[in-house]
Amino acid sequence: MSYELIALAMFGTMMVMLLTGQRVFGAIGFVAVAAALLLWGDGGSEMAFSAAIKLMKWYPLLTLPLFIYMGYMLSESGIAEDLYRMFHVWAGPLRGGLAVGTIGLMVVISAMNGLSVAGMAIGATIALPELLRRGYDKVMVTGVIQAGSSLGILVPPSVVLVLYGMIARQPIGQLWLAGAIPGLMMATLFVIYIVVRCRLQPDLGPPLPKEERQVTWGTKLRLLRAGILPLLIFFLMTGLFLMGITSLVESSAVGAVSATLAALFKGRLTPQVLHDTVRKTLGISCMFMWIIMAALCFGAVFDGLGAVKALEALFLEQWGLGPWEVLIMMQLSYIILGMFLDDTAMLVIVAPLYVPLVRELGFDLIWYGVLYTITCQIAYMTPPFGYNLFLMRAMAPPEITLGDIYRSIIPFVIVMTIGLAIVTAFPQVALWLPGLHYGQ
Amino acid sequence: MPKAVTIYVRYVDKANRFVGIFAMYLIFAMIGILFYSTISKSFFNPSLWTLEMAQFTMVAYYLLGGGYSMQTHSHVRMDLLYDRWSDKTKAAVDAVTICFMIFYLCLLLYGGFSSTHYALQYGEQSYSVWAPKMAPIKIVMCVGIFLMLLQALATFFKNLASARGEPLP
Repeated sequence: MSYELIALAMFGTMMVMLLTGQRVFGAIGFVAVAAALLLWGDGGSEMAFSAAIKLMKWYPLLTLPLFIYMGYMLSESGIAEDLYRMFHVWAGPLRGGLAVGTIGLMVVISAMNGLSVAGMAIGATIALPELLRRGYDKVMVTGVIQAGSSLGILVPPSVVLVLYGMIARQPIGQLWLAGAIPGLMMATLFVIYIVVRCRLQPDLGPPLPKEERQVTWGTKLRLLRAGILPLLIFFLMTGLFLMGITSLVESSAVGAVSATLAALFKGRLTPQVLHDTVRKTLGISCMFMWIIMAALCFGAVFDGLGAVKALEALFLEQWGLGPWEVLIMMQLSYIILGMFLDDTAMLVIVAPLYVPLVRELGFDLIWYGVLYTITCQIAYMTPPFGYNLFLMRAMAPPEITLGDIYRSIIPFVIVMTIGLAIVTAFPQVALWLPGLHYGQ
Repeated sequence: MPKAVTIYVRYVDKANRFVGIFAMYLIFAMIGILFYSTISKSFFNPSLWTLEMAQFTMVAYYLLGGGYSMQTHSHVRMDLLYDRWSDKTKAAVDAVTICFMIFYLCLLLYGGFSSTHYALQYGEQSYSVWAPKMAPIKIVMCVGIFLMLLQALATFFKNLASARGEPLP
């Protein structure tokens, strides 16, 4: 059996196992250890545990549980309610203004946390009920929250870029800075889409009624104070890290402490809240960690098969593609695989295959990291497999059906693809800021 | 279901809940270690042991918490088809598919035993300035994986019972 066929058989088996509703880590782990045993016999029997040791050595992953903790703590802290009130008053008079305000809220949350979980939790509990009550279209609102929360992995800090940085051996600081402008650009594109759409179809997002707009300037300015705490947290966490005062993992601990202090300061920190937060953190952390551990084993088997060389030969020699065609092929294949397979696992399995190829073709690996993250964002949202979809289903009120959720992402996926095209065509969008900061 | 199975499931559930609650508070240990590292680096001498200690805590965190996270249904599945089945069908399918997961866990544990055995025999140390012994954390890892395996078996029994129409309490 040729190596290509073995690789295909592994993906095929994984696919079938996932379709039967097997837990994701179980499906990936089983295929990996079974393949290792069949290929190498006794020599392959310890690969699963080696992956656990490798995961331990990937110490930047410490940021994962800490960011998850921080995200839940922030959603309990009441910071988000204050922020939402601020955006509500400032953006409310616009058509679709509350949806625009929700994107604004998501950008601020994204700047404090490196995952989309926090944005989803906050969006679904705070923004969603309010938007529905105001007569916003439920399909659009669902899309706004999913797309907005996905900015969490692009705007610094970002856990996806940490994972990518470990695989590609690139400095995390530069990667984070590279994600900043594309993230803000993406948010702007979302806002443009919402405003244009609501202008064309005013019933999708009615502006605030007249009487609610009668807010004095004093009140309006006072509401801006809601932004102080997030700015402070952003500075303590990402700022100190970029200035080189704290290391990456230390900065995530500083973030976790500051979120806890913020909740304490706001009087929201009860023993019950604390207990619930750590319980939810353990659940999500374990889910991700067990998947990453299984995927590392899967990746090691792939590596043993020489998949990188095979892929290179396929793209460059057999198909005779140019560098840009290869790049586009990689992104497309990632989006398609990401639809059906687990997105975190894809990141761990596919990135080690693509990164050497990207380096060989002479592309900038920092820039590619941003492209990769945007692709990841799209994969998080595309059915049938996407974390944002799962989270949305778990958190959405009953009147939002699965069909609504699936339909809601279509325009945003198109907007994100445009964003991806812009960053691909103009690498400076991503590379300008890290160049400025690190003086290259 | 035989009485022995019922008792097994009850005690494994209990044990994993207990260990899980311990594990979930380890997050504060991680935060504490790293925060201490930040403070000591800024104001005193940087400490050598913090990063590795945090790594060990992280591994203990998700491996010891594994069994409990399975109990609380925290692990995602692809629900394209799964979601449309009745509870009984789900349980029946799960009872089969979980066997694959148990196979993976067995190999994970096998690798763990052999690695721990090596660490104990040769007094393996980490390649760092602090150079801690590796055996203790490897033992903790094996315990976590073993507890996960016990929980997977317990889940298998629960699925089997539900598939036969007499769910365990």
